Amino acid sequence: MNIRQAVKMAWKSIIGKKGRSMLTMLGVIIGIAAVMTIVSVMSGYAAKTMEQFSAMGSNKITVNIYNYMYEVDENGNAVSVGKDYFPDLYAYCKSIPQYVVGITPEAYASVNVVYGTKNSANFQWDWETQTGQMPPDVYYVSDQYSACNNLTITKGRDLSELDVERYNQVCVLGSQAAEAFFDSADPVGKVLQLNGQSFEVVGVYAPRLTGSSAQNSFIDNFILLPYTARRLLGGDRIENFIIKARDGVSTTEVATRVRGFLKGLIDPSTSDSYVSPDDRGLQYMNEQMGMISLVLGGIAAISLLVGGIGIMNIMLVTVTERTREIGIRRAIGAQRSSIVTQFLIEAAMLCGIGGIIGILIGTLGCYVAGNLLFQMTIYPSASVTAGALGFSVLLGLIFGSYPAIKASKLQPVEALRAE
Amino acid sequence: MANLIELRNIFKIYGEGLESEVRALDGVTLTVEKGEFVAIVGQSGSGKSTMMNVLGCLDIPTRGDYLLEGTDVRELTDKELSRIRNKEIGFIFQQYNLIQTLTVLENVELPLIYQGIRADDRYDMALAALDRVGLAKRIKHKPTEMSGGQQQRVAIARAIATKPPIIMADEPTGALDSRTGHEVLEFLQQLNREGTTVILITHDNGIAATARRCVRLQDGKIVEDREQEVDWL
Repeated sequence: MNIRQAVKMAWKSIIGKKGRSMLTMLGVIIGIAAVMTIVSVMSGYAAKTMEQFSAMGSNKITVNIYNYMYEVDENGNAVSVGKDYFPDLYAYCKSIPQYVVGITPEAYASVNVVYGTKNSANFQWDWETQTGQMPPDVYYVSDQYSACNNLTITKGRDLSELDVERYNQVCVLGSQAAEAFFDSADPVGKVLQLNGQSFEVVGVYAPRLTGSSAQNSFIDNFILLPYTARRLLGGDRIENFIIKARDGVSTTEVATRVRGFLKGLIDPSTSDSYVSPDDRGLQYMNEQMGMISLVLGGIAAISLLVGGIGIMNIMLVTVTERTREIGIRRAIGAQRSSIVTQFLIEAAMLCGIGGIIGILIGTLGCYVAGNLLFQMTIYPSASVTAGALGFSVLLGLIFGSYPAIKASKLQPVEALRAE
Repeated sequence: MANLIELRNIFKIYGEGLESEVRALDGVTLTVEKGEFVAIVGQSGSGKSTMMNVLGCLDIPTRGDYLLEGTDVRELTDKELSRIRNKEIGFIFQQYNLIQTLTVLENVELPLIYQGIRADDRYDMALAALDRVGLAKRIKHKPTEMSGGQQQRVAIARAIATKPPIIMADEPTGALDSRTGHEVLEFLQQLNREGTTVILITHDNGIAATARRCVRLQDGKIVEDREQEVDWL
């Protein structure tokens, strides 16, 4: 008996008992749909997050330098004392270009930005409807911020070392911030009012994410100021710095060097420093995602197992019901292997059809869950889809084998005697 | 003529050694030649159904040799036994034993499917068999939509579709009224005249009278084996 005949027979038997077949498949349908949704949504989200991470540049080292000695000034405010170590660190990093691409402070400046009628204080973003305008992040940085963060100038010029040294009142905009204040007009040469102080826009960076990747991402919504502008605009002492290691250089090694340098530099009675390679955030996130995937995937796998047992159960019932038919087939010349093939194919088809329905529901589930949880449109990948179909057929073969073998072991005489 | 079937001291014992031991066949020796029409007659419990199962390779005897065309059946694998049931023997049962979910045509095609015959040839062969029993116009029907006599004719068509040298009929008229039963027996005689060896199992002496040779079983033993006047139908 060839496979085509067996498939035809199996199809007839499945169609002949539609209601029961549907109920039997339910376990597989739910299992496959759940696995599809979970795997696709998690991997879709992870891929997207990775994309944003790498867009901001990898291979970074975070440096924190704390001053824990304070004095009270004439106004009664606490002011930290001790040296500003950044210029030394900056010079050190410049001296080891074989290891380091750039170094920059990274500090939020709590600054109100005004251009014409546009005022960042009025910007608002609605997460529910995903409309409105996010207020831009304003950072105090060095001239090497762009090198550390994968930014390239598309209009005007970048910040320069001179801007920093001379306290120039200039700024460079990320693409989203430029669009927010100037729409499509050229911002270069325009003057923004930052806390009432005039800052000239000298350049605009190219967007780091485009198309669907940029959806719900605000990584290009920023304004960069030379960190020396802090004297004019205020803000806490800058304690966070980012060093970008050269590609191919281990961040751990660079971190060790910087740590050594700071140890010799810093006065431990007033300050302390902390240096850490920045891959940890990503690593942590990957671990988290892995854990969640494992737990959810495990639950889905259990549902598939239950579905498989359901298939086995029904196939056993089917074999019992069709004992006489098996006897007849054996009497007119069916070999054991033909009987095994027949029931195996029936189980595999039952699971396969369940798998296809599960895939359709899972695709819908991906779409809904992606939008609901992460505000992004996720579809299952081709490999996940093919895997789900393959797995469901495999499930049928595994759980169908016991009933099929049981059917084939029936003695023709006894099978014929069954009612 | 060559011995087609040779049973030598065949035993079929259920629960051997127990107090409740049943000897369905108790040392049967029988030879059937090619082209014979043999009726195996006996009361219920005489062992005649067991005899048919053993002869049809549906059951393996406990002891004794069964040579089918010179081959010792007990030494054959399941695959070889399946092939014999498929090609050498056509079965006709009292309860027709058609598969209810398949159409008439599909039922008749089934042994041909297991033979691995191509779909086109299969259709032609099945149709020819159905034509012989006068059911060529009802191939799309399900067995449940037919009368008992028609169902038995479908079963006969299935048995002859592979053109087997042996037909084994187990109480083929048992579930039929006398007129349709008569048709079935007539058909068996016709097949025998064409050279097919026919083995007919029955409890009814009248039906056994359609056969040239009558073998009587009682308590698993052959008590009578004689040639008789044929009641030609």
